[in-house]
Amino acid sequence: MKNFENWYNKNYKKILIIPAIVLTLSILYLAFFYIQTGDIINKDVSLTGGTSITILTQISAQDLENHLSQEIQDFEIKTISDNSGAQLELIITAKDQDAETLKASLEKFLEYELTSENSSQETTSASLSQDFYKQLIVAVILAFFWMAAVVFLIFSKGNKVKIQVVILNILFGFFLGNFFLTSNPILSGIAFIAFISYFIRTYIKKSVPAFAVMLCAFTSITMTLALIDIIGMQMSTAGIVAFLMLIGYSVDTDILLTTRLLKRKESVNKALFSAFKTGTTMTITSIIAITTALIAIYSFESVLNQIFTILLIGLGFDLLNTWITNASIIKWYVQSK
Amino acid sequence: MKITFRIWILLVVVLLSLISILGLPPQILESGLLITSVNQDSTLFQDGLRESMVLKEINGQEILSLEDYATALEYLKQNQTQKLTIQTDSIEIINLYDNSIINDISLEEISATKIKTGLDLRGGARAFIKADVPLNDAELNDLIAVSEQRLNVYGLSDVKFFKVSTSSGENLMGIEIAGTSPDDLEDLIAKQGHFEAKIGNDTVFIGGDKDITHVGRTGTDAMITDCFEVEGGEACNFQFTIFLSEEAAQLHADITDNLTINGSYLSKKLDFFIDGKPTSSLNIGTSLKGQVATQISISGSGQGATRNEAIEATKAEMKQLQTILITGSLPFKLEIVKIDKISPNLGDQFTKQILLAGLFAIIAVSIVVFIRYRKIKASLALVTVSLSEVLIILGTAALIGWNLDLPSIAGIIAAIGTGIDSQLIILDEAQDKRESIKARIKKALFIIVTAFTTTFVAMIPLTGFLGFMGIGAASAGLLKGFAVTTLIGITTGVLISRPAFADIARQLEE
Repeated sequence: MKNFENWYNKNYKKILIIPAIVLTLSILYLAFFYIQTGDIINKDVSLTGGTSITILTQISAQDLENHLSQEIQDFEIKTISDNSGAQLELIITAKDQDAETLKASLEKFLEYELTSENSSQETTSASLSQDFYKQLIVAVILAFFWMAAVVFLIFSKGNKVKIQVVILNILFGFFLGNFFLTSNPILSGIAFIAFISYFIRTYIKKSVPAFAVMLCAFTSITMTLALIDIIGMQMSTAGIVAFLMLIGYSVDTDILLTTRLLKRKESVNKALFSAFKTGTTMTITSIIAITTALIAIYSFESVLNQIFTILLIGLGFDLLNTWITNASIIKWYVQSK
Repeated sequence: MKITFRIWILLVVVLLSLISILGLPPQILESGLLITSVNQDSTLFQDGLRESMVLKEINGQEILSLEDYATALEYLKQNQTQKLTIQTDSIEIINLYDNSIINDISLEEISATKIKTGLDLRGGARAFIKADVPLNDAELNDLIAVSEQRLNVYGLSDVKFFKVSTSSGENLMGIEIAGTSPDDLEDLIAKQGHFEAKIGNDTVFIGGDKDITHVGRTGTDAMITDCFEVEGGEACNFQFTIFLSEEAAQLHADITDNLTINGSYLSKKLDFFIDGKPTSSLNIGTSLKGQVATQISISGSGQGATRNEAIEATKAEMKQLQTILITGSLPFKLEIVKIDKISPNLGDQFTKQILLAGLFAIIAVSIVVFIRYRKIKASLALVTVSLSEVLIILGTAALIGWNLDLPSIAGIIAAIGTGIDSQLIILDEAQDKRESIKARIKKALFIIVTAFTTTFVAMIPLTGFLGFMGIGAASAGLLKGFAVTTLIGITTGVLISRPAFADIARQLEE
């Protein structure tokens, strides 16, 4: 234990290089992904628009695929089964323009009509889906910055700067809602960067701990995004919810760490270690609970699978970011004071 | 253990939540079928049957299920009335009915709890409809009124309409239909419907700008003319003007010229049809006989127990007629931009797997907490308080009538996860021996309140409250449930269950 403490005291700044490398690789991968696909995530039909039909059937996915491939180019079939592995239903998804063809072709193959009793059908036009997607992104960005503002208000001092931050966050909300993603991309891009630069600068100058909390949340999101792109997951609206949950959980452990260190009555390392004990219990409990729940329902292939998977990946990265990124920065900050 | 004030509050709130979920007396003990809607133009409605009454018996036969109901009405025939005695929880109705009453009311089996589930769990249809030109609020209201009228004509009354705006400021019409939806739903909502007015078998005018150039709906073109006392309450008269084209007016004159006079009205009525189905009929005043009138005044009346009720009923009656008259004349084409039809049979599975996931997660959490603290009491307290939080969230959702959809369930999971995190912080702080227990709990609550505040503000953009900022107006509809249940969960958590848990943890340490 003593050895580890000596090593940690000597090297805590150096180990920041680990998350820095992972973050850089993640950003590079996301940039590469963006250039290739035009977005930073793979979107499923709920975000791109298209049709998804669920049918209660025992017919094998392979038979259906052979039939459909004669009529439609781009489609996917997922098999849903219960825990014993028995097939319950099939979900067939296709792009926007194929909605009618898909239904007709399915009916021809099944030799019965698809009604609301024996099937579910979800169809969304591409333009509306895109609009939803934009609005969701805007809501998530605003959620992130408002969280940051709250963390800043709590860990910083000085009323003048606090009022300034609150007003600018409200203005930022108006900007995101009315101009961002809808007006001239270059102008709104410049305004966006201006807002963010102001926030980053203020947070670093006035409250390093607040900045560290949000940096850690940002890093966890970025790494998670990169990994789900690598494993080829297609994100749905539910996946975006998972990211919001992830930011929340990430910020929780970071606030715990920051409070324990700033309000400590003992040595920095002792406070750090006690925070580590509580924080990892929190995160590991969540990870175990989510894993068991995921195993219980995995075969049903519902949207909960995606939420749980993203949370698992995110909480894993969050362990790294809280206990290396945030811990090192805050230790550095506390000791330099 | 001493039950402190804060623990009492938690216990009371849990009890109230249970009452809110189960109902008082518990709904599960109640027999009968819940009436979910009654067609307002039906005899049953006039006889006093209303939504949310519970159907108990028909002709002395007890009705316990939808099968019983179907059996009880089996012998009714078309256009041939039979005497029926209908017993509900509050009134008894005896009258002559034919089998059209089957379409006039919709029923549902009383659920065991008062928790309402959303479309994606219960089954139903949801659609967003866009016009080919940008709609302003008034036009969107017209579209909604016309669509509502038309779906009513087809016997679909358990329908909810709402407005949706996109980020580019476009107005869309949203429709939600519970339960099984008709298979030709797309045609019903994406086409405007065909309006026709007939005298006998002759068509006088049809919907569209060609025949009816304008339907008066404001100022002196549409108003309540007078109100007066009648037997059993008050009644009001209304009057509005419609403007016909020259040809339609001429046709009207030709047809009415051949009618005979019968008292103060002509011998035949003016009948309105939507998609060939009769909706309303009007008497034609004798002064209109053979007249080429491009302005026709339409009048009628409404009744109510009080003056205000009479005025409301009259307004509704007038609006209904105006709506029928503008059917088919809205100057835009419609396009379905989103339609989801969820089979009621698939929703059951979701519910099952959610319960399964919840059960496994709870078992996992209890085991982890026990391994970590080696204290059976603390682990039990933590799991019990977390379960009580689930009850409080469900109870609040039932109380405010929130429809729990899949995002809402995700929200409950998020809130419970945050709750367990907070309780772990309290447990850990309580174990720390260096400071006074009070100071430690205070520090724990500071962390918890900070974490609560961050989550709270993060949820606001998803609720739709920031519509004035242009944030989340349309998407809010999809993920609002997540924000709402998370907000309920974390707020009740920080106000009720965390303080109680802090007291429990303090006593366990002392």
